[in-house]
Amino acid sequence: MATPVIMPRQGQTVESCIITKWHKKKGEAVKVGDLLFSYETDKAAFDEEAKVEGTLLEVFFDEGDDVPVLATVCVIGEEGEDISEFMPGRKDASTAKEVAAESQEQPTTESGSEIEVKSGDVAQQDGRVKISPRARNLAERSGVDYREAVPTGPYGRIIERDIRQLIEKGQLVTHAARDEYLRAEGMRIGGTGIGGRVTTADLHSMKREAHYEVPQPPVQEAKAEEADFEEVELSNIRKVIARAMHQSLANTAQLTIHTSFDATEILAFRKKVKEQGERLGLANITLNDIILYVVSRTLLNHKALNAHFLDDRMLLFNHVHLGVAVDTERGLMVPTVYNADTKSLDEISREVKELVEACRKGSINPDYLKGGTFTVTNLGSLGVEAFTPILNPPQTGILGVNTIVQRVKEMDGKIVIYPAMGLSLTFDHRAVDGAPAARFLQELKANLENFSIFLAK
Amino acid sequence: MPKQLFINPHEVRKSGWVKFQDIPVNQYNKTIEEEKANYTNEDFVRIYRDMVIIREFETMLLLVKTTGEYNGVPYDYPGPAHLSIGQEAAAVGQAYHLDKDDFIFGSHRSHGEIIAKGLSAIEKMSDDELMDIMKKFWDGRVLKVVEESKKDYKSVKELAMDFLLYGALAEIFGRETGFNKGLGGSMHAFFTPFGIYPNNAIVGGSAGIAVGAALFKKVNRKKGIVIANIGDGAMGCGPVWEAMNMAAMDQFKYLWEEGYRGGLPIIFNFFNNQYGMGGQTCGETMGYQILARVGAGINPEQMHAERVDGYNPLAVIDAIKRKKQLLLENKGPVLLDVVTYRFCGHSPSDASTYRTKEEIDAWMQHDSIVTYGKQLIDAGVATQEQLDAILNDVKERIDRIYRLAIDENKSPRMDLVSNPDAIASLMFSNQRIEKMDDRECDVLIPKEENPRLQQIKRKVRAGIQDGKPVPKNKVFQLRDAIFEALLDKFYVDPTLIAYGEDNRDWGGAFAVYRGLTEALPYHRLFNAPISEAAIVASAVGYAMCGGRVVVELMYADFIGRAGDEIFNQLSKWQAMSAGILKMPVVLRVSVGSKYGAQHSQDWTSLVAHIPGLKVVFPATPYDAKGLMNSALMGTDPVVFFESQRIYDIGEMFHPGGVPEGYYEVPIGEPDIKKEGKDITILTVGAMLYRALEAAKILESKYGMSAEVIDARSIVPFNYEKVIESVKKTGKIVITGDACERASYLKDFAQNITELAFDYLDAPPVVVGSRNWITPAHELERFFFPQPDWIIDAIHEKIVPLKGHVVRNNFTVNEQLRRNRLGV
Repeated sequence: MATPVIMPRQGQTVESCIITKWHKKKGEAVKVGDLLFSYETDKAAFDEEAKVEGTLLEVFFDEGDDVPVLATVCVIGEEGEDISEFMPGRKDASTAKEVAAESQEQPTTESGSEIEVKSGDVAQQDGRVKISPRARNLAERSGVDYREAVPTGPYGRIIERDIRQLIEKGQLVTHAARDEYLRAEGMRIGGTGIGGRVTTADLHSMKREAHYEVPQPPVQEAKAEEADFEEVELSNIRKVIARAMHQSLANTAQLTIHTSFDATEILAFRKKVKEQGERLGLANITLNDIILYVVSRTLLNHKALNAHFLDDRMLLFNHVHLGVAVDTERGLMVPTVYNADTKSLDEISREVKELVEACRKGSINPDYLKGGTFTVTNLGSLGVEAFTPILNPPQTGILGVNTIVQRVKEMDGKIVIYPAMGLSLTFDHRAVDGAPAARFLQELKANLENFSIFLAK
Repeated sequence: MPKQLFINPHEVRKSGWVKFQDIPVNQYNKTIEEEKANYTNEDFVRIYRDMVIIREFETMLLLVKTTGEYNGVPYDYPGPAHLSIGQEAAAVGQAYHLDKDDFIFGSHRSHGEIIAKGLSAIEKMSDDELMDIMKKFWDGRVLKVVEESKKDYKSVKELAMDFLLYGALAEIFGRETGFNKGLGGSMHAFFTPFGIYPNNAIVGGSAGIAVGAALFKKVNRKKGIVIANIGDGAMGCGPVWEAMNMAAMDQFKYLWEEGYRGGLPIIFNFFNNQYGMGGQTCGETMGYQILARVGAGINPEQMHAERVDGYNPLAVIDAIKRKKQLLLENKGPVLLDVVTYRFCGHSPSDASTYRTKEEIDAWMQHDSIVTYGKQLIDAGVATQEQLDAILNDVKERIDRIYRLAIDENKSPRMDLVSNPDAIASLMFSNQRIEKMDDRECDVLIPKEENPRLQQIKRKVRAGIQDGKPVPKNKVFQLRDAIFEALLDKFYVDPTLIAYGEDNRDWGGAFAVYRGLTEALPYHRLFNAPISEAAIVASAVGYAMCGGRVVVELMYADFIGRAGDEIFNQLSKWQAMSAGILKMPVVLRVSVGSKYGAQHSQDWTSLVAHIPGLKVVFPATPYDAKGLMNSALMGTDPVVFFESQRIYDIGEMFHPGGVPEGYYEVPIGEPDIKKEGKDITILTVGAMLYRALEAAKILESKYGMSAEVIDARSIVPFNYEKVIESVKKTGKIVITGDACERASYLKDFAQNITELAFDYLDAPPVVVGSRNWITPAHELERFFFPQPDWIIDAIHEKIVPLKGHVVRNNFTVNEQLRRNRLGV
């Protein structure tokens, strides 16, 4: 009996995943635990391992395909087995039949035999979009991309009401830009025209980006024709980061203030844990863990920084969900330590290690990649002395942790050398003014410099 | 069923014998010498000349067909040529005593009859009369061609002879200068100013039409008699028997009023050339042995039948003279069995495999032209030189006419390039003529005293009063509406007559005519035999002679019984005559229900398919009266469908109900019966009401507002309103009671698809009856479309309706399956 491999649902909000790489080819033998394929959402990447042994009988999607979750991706079984029942689309059909049959029996059910069809579902079966002439004309006149419509007509046909639905919520394209826009397969670009319509100008700027002229050495120089660069397709994560960062800078009023604190106490504590932690059953608590711990407590006195700013109102959180910026091969990821203010230092330390590991492996559950109320990012290990972290909206603050430098200070009339650790706080001035933000830094600094006492509180 | 006729059981059951009289067979035996008292020498020679003209005319066609040339002048004529070489004496003999007021109707083999009748009419008419006719015909166009072809015409009669031959030949060759602009051709050429009425390519087709012509003469007291020239083969055709039977109806003798009483002035003249194509009517395909015998089966007068020697022109002249006298004494109808023989085949492609050379040679020994010529010389009436001179003159004449008729410049064809609508514009005459004649209308009582009209006065003319439906027995019904329109017209147009099965006394099977019996004499309203073919054919003849007529087929299913008459005759004669003939016929057809497979089918699509018929199907009293008024005002054949489901319905739409006065609903204009914005439903006939029910459900259950359009007419049909509606709604269901396959509903769908494709949100969907037999009434809801069918079809094919549960299978797979099975 052949076994279908479905696209796992990675978190409740994920509807589809992109296959990034196939590790096995159709016809190859697979053993339990072999990597079948890698895939990613817009937030995380994953690997799918074989759970049964056999031959990879059929592969329904290629690298780069956007696969609906729970759809059959491939089939493993014995050579020669019939796999037709697993063909994508079949499942939908039988579901539809069941729904229809059900509605026959229960005529009173609301929504009855209405079959929920997803945008593009039918079109995928024979490669054609079924659309009535009227719907097509309406789409043309109103400037919506009918490929986005959810067909509710007979036999998966897009009909007028589907376009009307789209007009109510969908993206509009100006008439002049329409043809070109429709030719731009797979592109979804933002519109700057009236009502958010995509205009020819948008298309042209898109094209300029697509055909960006790479600086080239003058022609007369030798080997001028050989491209001296490598063109790299952006990963989904890169695209998401790019968009998020740009939006952050474009849409908030962020600024950064800097300070530093005497790290003598936390270094001493760190040393003690390193020497005895294993014996005491403690995690390998890092300086960053300590800072997370202190931040999670200090923030409770500065609720405007443990908040979401939503233009006309703010959500002030009673618990601290700390976002922790993690550097991975794929790019920046920010898993969340939920309710950090209720967790012990040891617990925070252990959880952060797990989250970082998951992020680097790409196996992070996407549900952990959201919900933060404040973020801590650390470039100190890379020797950075000060930087301006970028806010993760709608959060109102992000703390950058810098490296430790030896500084001198006057203490009891003497010049002493002490380890100074830099802190860079970026905050949204729309939500918080400069003084309250500085007061948060001031308290944070005090708590860190007196960590042993703080720990006792 | 008139009550004054008492069917006495003692009489009916009495013992006795049916007695027959002897039927004369070739009893004429006079010599030229004996006939000299009746004919001048010129008469004798003219008979010879006319026969020779026919012979040469037909020989010319035979040579063109078989050798591709005549007198060395080549011509390619691919059309038909059913020649009558050998039958000349019969044609000339018949025509001798006929004048322009005597009408002949012919067959596919009637060139000889046209020429003979034309020559006879020319002989009898004055020069002024002839010039007047020729100058007026197609504004003198035909005359001009003939006049320019020869400078020195000795007389108007000479000119008229060429006019006749040229008009006929140009018609045969399909030229615009032909008698019917080339639209009739060889088998249909005719020229009414000389009393030559249409020849018919359908065997026996002229019999019923000629009955109508005779009826026209009788009812409208017109001069002359009518002759149906048909072949012996036609005796095998049911419609011919129907025609003879109808012409011999007892009511003419016993029931029709004084002044109209007596038999129809018609001769069923069988040119008995012994063959029905190749079938030998005596000895092979019939059993009468002697055709004249059939007369004895029709009425006690045995139709005054006799066999006449068609190879002796004088015998035929004698017979026609006597029979014409009988007809003028109201003693018709007459049957003549004029024996003759054709030397040539049925057509030039006929290899005469069914007969021997000996037989043909034997008849050639009897060749009437040779024999008669010899008799003239023997009797000292003419010399051989005279006869030779006639022959030479005729040859010269036919040669000239031939060259003229094939001259592309002088005898052009209809120019469909510069005038693409030349034929289209002839399909309907589209005239408005209030009355076909100007005399007083013959009626029995003043209109106001009509008992039905008085009863109607007490009825409520609207179907809804104070928001409530008016009870059936109080409401002005659809049947009242049709009655009212007809009654009005009977008091306006004196030529208007109505007949059909059970029209008088009974008042029509569905009580539409109740009240007409009291108002009209027999000759304006009578019961026809159960002879659908004769009913329709006679209406065609009545109308083409200049009358207006309403005939009825009790059930649409009986259209089959009148197939040729509706599909070939009623529909085509206006265009085949190039507009010379008008066809003001209303054919009322009732669509049944409850009566099973042969009494309940909607056959609108069959008639709609045939070019030349207007087809209407009103569903409301207002539309029924308005459309009937339009039909009765026009000059085109209108097939007027009525549904038995709704004869008793009141007017639910027109504000104020059905007006008492005259008004018209234009034929061809659909009507929006209910406005809506989400979907259009186009209905034909009584389906209007079920569609309205569906619209109600759509509105209340699915929040969908339906626009319901009543087609009212099927041919012609103005799509504007429908297209406007579809532009608005993007969706349309077309529904009617016709079986769906190949129905007119499909034609609507096809046209709407093309006309409004860009506006459509789904293909137009047809909901017609199943492609089954109509089952018993109790099962009809599985056969005729129902409101829930419409909703199911919408749900399945146009726009899925939220929460709708289908009961009928309108899926694509089912559609494929049904088509695969042909059901």
